[in-house]
Amino acid sequence: MNTTHYADGVVDDIMVVGVGGQGVIVAAAIIADTALLHGDLEVKLSETRGMSQRGGSVSSHIRIGTTVVAPSISPGEVDYLLAFEQAEGLRLVPSVVDDGIAIVNTQKIVPPLASQGEFQYPLDAVARMDDGRVRVTAVDGNAIALDVGDLKVAGVVLVGALSTHLPFDVATWQEAIVRNVPPKWKELNFAAFAAGREVGGL
Amino acid sequence: MDTHLMLGNEAVARGAWAAGVQVAAAYPGTPSTEIVTNLATYDGVYAEWSTNEKVAYEVAFGAAMGGVRALTAMKSAGASVAADPLISSVYTGINGGLVVCLAGDPGMSSGMTEQDDRYFGRISSMPMLEPADSQECHDYTRLAFELSEEFDVPVMVRLSIQTAHQKSMVRFAEPDGGGRTAPVRRPPDRKTEKYCLLPRYSRPLHRSLLERFERLRAYSESSELARVEPGTGAFARIGVVSAGAAAISAKEALPEASFLKLGMIHPLPVEAVRRFAASVDRLFVVEELEPFLEEQLLAAGIACEGKEWFPKWGELTPVRVGRGFFAAGLDLPRWAEEKAAEDLSVIPRPPVLCTGCPHRGMATAMKKLDLDVHGDIGCYDLTTLPPVSHMHSAVEMGASIPMEQGFTRAGGSEKGSIAVIGDSTFLHSGLTGLLNAVHQRTNVTVLIQDNSITAMTGGQTNPGNVKTLAGVETRPVDIAAICRALGVEHIETVDPYDYEVCLASLRAGLAFDGPAVIITDRPCMLFPQKVTGDSHYVVDPDVCNACQQCMKLGCPSLHHVEATHKGRHKVEIDGETCTGCSLCAQLCKVGAITKAGGA
Repeated sequence: MNTTHYADGVVDDIMVVGVGGQGVIVAAAIIADTALLHGDLEVKLSETRGMSQRGGSVSSHIRIGTTVVAPSISPGEVDYLLAFEQAEGLRLVPSVVDDGIAIVNTQKIVPPLASQGEFQYPLDAVARMDDGRVRVTAVDGNAIALDVGDLKVAGVVLVGALSTHLPFDVATWQEAIVRNVPPKWKELNFAAFAAGREVGGL
Repeated sequence: MDTHLMLGNEAVARGAWAAGVQVAAAYPGTPSTEIVTNLATYDGVYAEWSTNEKVAYEVAFGAAMGGVRALTAMKSAGASVAADPLISSVYTGINGGLVVCLAGDPGMSSGMTEQDDRYFGRISSMPMLEPADSQECHDYTRLAFELSEEFDVPVMVRLSIQTAHQKSMVRFAEPDGGGRTAPVRRPPDRKTEKYCLLPRYSRPLHRSLLERFERLRAYSESSELARVEPGTGAFARIGVVSAGAAAISAKEALPEASFLKLGMIHPLPVEAVRRFAASVDRLFVVEELEPFLEEQLLAAGIACEGKEWFPKWGELTPVRVGRGFFAAGLDLPRWAEEKAAEDLSVIPRPPVLCTGCPHRGMATAMKKLDLDVHGDIGCYDLTTLPPVSHMHSAVEMGASIPMEQGFTRAGGSEKGSIAVIGDSTFLHSGLTGLLNAVHQRTNVTVLIQDNSITAMTGGQTNPGNVKTLAGVETRPVDIAAICRALGVEHIETVDPYDYEVCLASLRAGLAFDGPAVIITDRPCMLFPQKVTGDSHYVVDPDVCNACQQCMKLGCPSLHHVEATHKGRHKVEIDGETCTGCSLCAQLCKVGAITKAGGA
């Protein structure tokens, strides 16, 4: 893939979803900054509003193209879904286009509501997502992050997995990572990104 | 050219900085908060978190009168709090430029109501600019200061949450670091006839206000802020009049239409719309919430369609505008069918009180005592949701204590009633309500949950803190001393991590003959920095009898496990996130929960 990808007015609609505190916002910033650093592209971004730090569902929309109008992705038009948590992936998968890409972290975060008996947490979320309509890649981002050295870089593992589908080179991704993580974590994040690329599904 | 990806609110702050703003004051409120958070990071700008929006407005107003450029920012509800000076300052006019940023929340992502803020422009005759993306947030804010001084009037920059909280690209005409209009101080105003709104002065001021508004109308009609974007192809004779976030949504929904994109929405350039209307076959007005523009155009005799196709509630996202065009008969395959945005049958995941939140103990205790609970605005509102579900009103800032007073005057309730308010909200508008209850000798019970921060909006400082937003060391206010000074005779400060103490203090407050105040004194878990705790608790699975007492707390660190007892799931504690508050151990009737390491 290369940048002619965007030549015919193609807009890539990327949605990152997860649970407050998982690093969705940072991942979205890395993706948006990569497109920005690549140059000659318009980038727009829109985030969940409200109390995202308190364990609620979080989503971030990133739209990349030569011209982008709205900052939010319309229902059913997601090209790439990057889910940091499996139930959140299952929640948003109906919005992915036919034959679109969904990368889902196998982590399970059971909300306190599930403990009240009224709701059942979907333990089979990944299997339910993978119904043949959308191309699903399950990634154990947490295990890979621990392998690399720290659970904190799980988000960048997932970004690495997504990166294999987008037309930007590794150096540009790394420059965007540097912009968004503390300097002392740079090498660890590069390693996490590289590990993510190994399991990206291409 | 220097390109940046900026949040709408960040771009407003950058535009204000570029305009040479010197004073910024606000009370935090989603979706306006980041404007002043960002302004505080610029050299040469004094920025503060004021005690409430009215105070913030008046600080900015006074700074403008004193001769410098000043800004205030607020959410919809904040504009109601600040409405008095907002309206009066249009009578007086200003000296240094004054810009009022008002960020609305159609869709109620965090607001209590979705109100159409544009009517504040009409009620006050304050001119309003409405940016649609971050570039316009920057440019319009900068322009607003120029217009403010040119027309001697505060200027509103009106934002929707869709604009305030999106990120888009901003290009500065000059390299970063340059481009700030040199801040100047005009000679401070000392003009009785301009700033003293006694009838003898305000009567002529109202007439000059109306005359000034006509000059603004002429500016609006001739300004390039109203921009025609000709359409293409089959839809070129479909016209759309719109502004702000709604204009972006309309452009996404129907890019081939002809657009009249408005920048100044008050005074509305009616003649510019009339000329545009003559160039199209059908004219659609696309706007969020009320038919603010549409009614003015209809009154001017311009045929247009609007609210019959586009809802009066919620955000106008591209799909909702597209569906409206489709319903109006336009052949738009992209919007022909309603598509699911998400699978709502997957488990809901609303925000919850954090692990270790100091609000949890009292919420559980009030639920246990089955009180009628009059809440206020803060994180404790999350306890209206299951499993705690103990709160019975949460309406607006400062409402808790007066509503508790009225409820008590109406006869109260059998089990007792209580007002619940946080430190920041108490200092915002709780004091006057408590003073009134004391003065009226009403037997109210008030719980002040002091977590030493303005938490819900993301951890802003308030007068209970040792430092201001500007980083200046200050004297933290003593809330108990305030209550004593207001005349409260029963004041008890308690540890909300001690469940029995929570219950006992509530009972004592309710039993006291006279106004009673209970204050909790544990800090927020999230701000100013995330508290992880130095110990955690564990469940002994052999002792746990799955009684579910601990699960009543709604703690995100407690989970069910596969193992059951009498058909109910046993519980485990996530040691990674547990902060060791110990409430679950206190509620456990069989002693299954103990401190890790056995200490």
